[in-house]
Amino acid sequence: MTDTAMRPTHPPRRRRPWWRTASAHLPLIIVAMITLFPFFVMLVISVQPGQAIDLPRSLWPQSWDFSEFGRLLSRGEMTTWIINTAIYAVVSVVLVLALASMAAYAFAKLSFPGRNVVFLVMVAMLMVPYHLTLIPKFILISELGGLNTHWGLILPTIANVQALFLMRQFIAGIPNELIEAARIDGAGELRIFWQIILPQTKPILATLGVFVFLWHWNDFLWPLVANTASAKYTLTVGLSSLNEEQTSLAVTMAGALITFVPIFIIFLIMQRYFVRGVTMSGIK
Amino acid sequence: MIFVLPYLLIFLAFRILPAFGGLGLSLSDYSLTGDISWVGGDNFERLFGDDLFWNALRVTIVYSVIAVPLVVVVSLFMAHLASRSIRGIKVYRAAFFLPVITSLVTTAVIWQWIYSSEGPLNWFLGVFGVGPVPWLASSIAVLPSLAVVAMWSRFGYDMLILMAGMLDIPQDYYEAASLDGANAWQRFRHITLPGLRRPLFFVVILEIVSSFQVFDLIYVMTGGGPVTASYSLVFMIYDQGFGYFNFGYASAAGVVLLVITLIVSAIQRLYLKDDD
Repeated sequence: MTDTAMRPTHPPRRRRPWWRTASAHLPLIIVAMITLFPFFVMLVISVQPGQAIDLPRSLWPQSWDFSEFGRLLSRGEMTTWIINTAIYAVVSVVLVLALASMAAYAFAKLSFPGRNVVFLVMVAMLMVPYHLTLIPKFILISELGGLNTHWGLILPTIANVQALFLMRQFIAGIPNELIEAARIDGAGELRIFWQIILPQTKPILATLGVFVFLWHWNDFLWPLVANTASAKYTLTVGLSSLNEEQTSLAVTMAGALITFVPIFIIFLIMQRYFVRGVTMSGIK
Repeated sequence: MIFVLPYLLIFLAFRILPAFGGLGLSLSDYSLTGDISWVGGDNFERLFGDDLFWNALRVTIVYSVIAVPLVVVVSLFMAHLASRSIRGIKVYRAAFFLPVITSLVTTAVIWQWIYSSEGPLNWFLGVFGVGPVPWLASSIAVLPSLAVVAMWSRFGYDMLILMAGMLDIPQDYYEAASLDGANAWQRFRHITLPGLRRPLFFVVILEIVSSFQVFDLIYVMTGGGPVTASYSLVFMIYDQGFGYFNFGYASAAGVVLLVITLIVSAIQRLYLKDDD
């Protein structure tokens, strides 16, 4: 009150009438409810194991029974799948970022023979659909003895072109004076990269990191063909097999929820990086 | 040189080599024992005489014709809705983005039940005496049903791109138009849409590419069925390759996908050149 009285030049902002606020929120609430409905369904079905589905009563569970989660996790398989997926995602993130940032530094700031030709070849390779390369990749990994191993799953995915392009663009924006100054001080390329370039790229590393994690956590086709032994499944492949077995709907939904929750938690913590990543891809 | 070497080696082995490998395989016969024999154009000859291939092409095109406009229009509408500045808008935006981070297998598993004959959608229609509609089990409904799931899982992403584009349109334009008496639709039609040309074009290309490559949803929800009503080109590559281990034949289908991709990107280039 005193605040507005002390500043007579600014008329006090008129409060919107309640119905204006409500009508602004109403369409958003309706669309949000439709969007969130599948998540709601996944949750309520997973906590009603052993019960016949009876709509609409099943949408409002009488009791919340989380025993299906315990049973799934204690069966061992599911826990193995979680570990497999975590290894696939975390190791890939580290390797993708390491390879891409090093190569991006070279492409942006150093000159080496054939630099432009190599770069053109990379752009051209973007045109080749993933699915054409799937079978040769499978044969290659199979010849190397990498089927049903962690490294065989990870290795073909770590030379990420999008990551390289984004990093190159970002590193190109770092002033050359900074690098020159370090060179005059006698720093080697490795030290320049480690102490000058990398610290500058932190925000983009975080953005890329969450996306690479997301791609690998949710990846389906490559793990499906490369790791066919059930002890080597990732969560997506395991969930698809649970769904095919059709043990019960509650089991499948519990599996779906277990696959979703880790990525959901990461999203809650790193939300702004997700948003930044999307808008970056759109600007280009 | 040390900096690029690790990346380039992996890129060479798992990107360039497989690309040429795919082209080579399409012209050969690969048996599971590892023997490769050159068969020239035989795979393509067989492909172009195969009803399954023409069906896959038709399924892919029909699906894209449904899915691309659906996703783009919904994303545009949602971007418009979510660009308002009201209290709590960030919570709504986060809710709209949740499907994007959800794996397509999770998405497929949930929607499979939503669409099933005992599922909530048919229960809801049943209240009005309609149905049950065989959403995934009828050859007419299956592609639109899959397109709706793709729309659910993708609109949050496109929405953010379009919203960023909307923020770049100067606010003065809208104020001037309001003073001239333009209504909300006219402002959207004559200011927002033209201002969004580039992001909108980007989103359309993105959706064409993604709808041509739809796989996870089909694999989990329909397996290409009923019969072959959702047997798409990419599903054919997988099915021929890893269901029947006809690596050469599957690669020939992959080369067709490559040709389509090249045509789309050529059109994209022409359009962008016109723009400048």
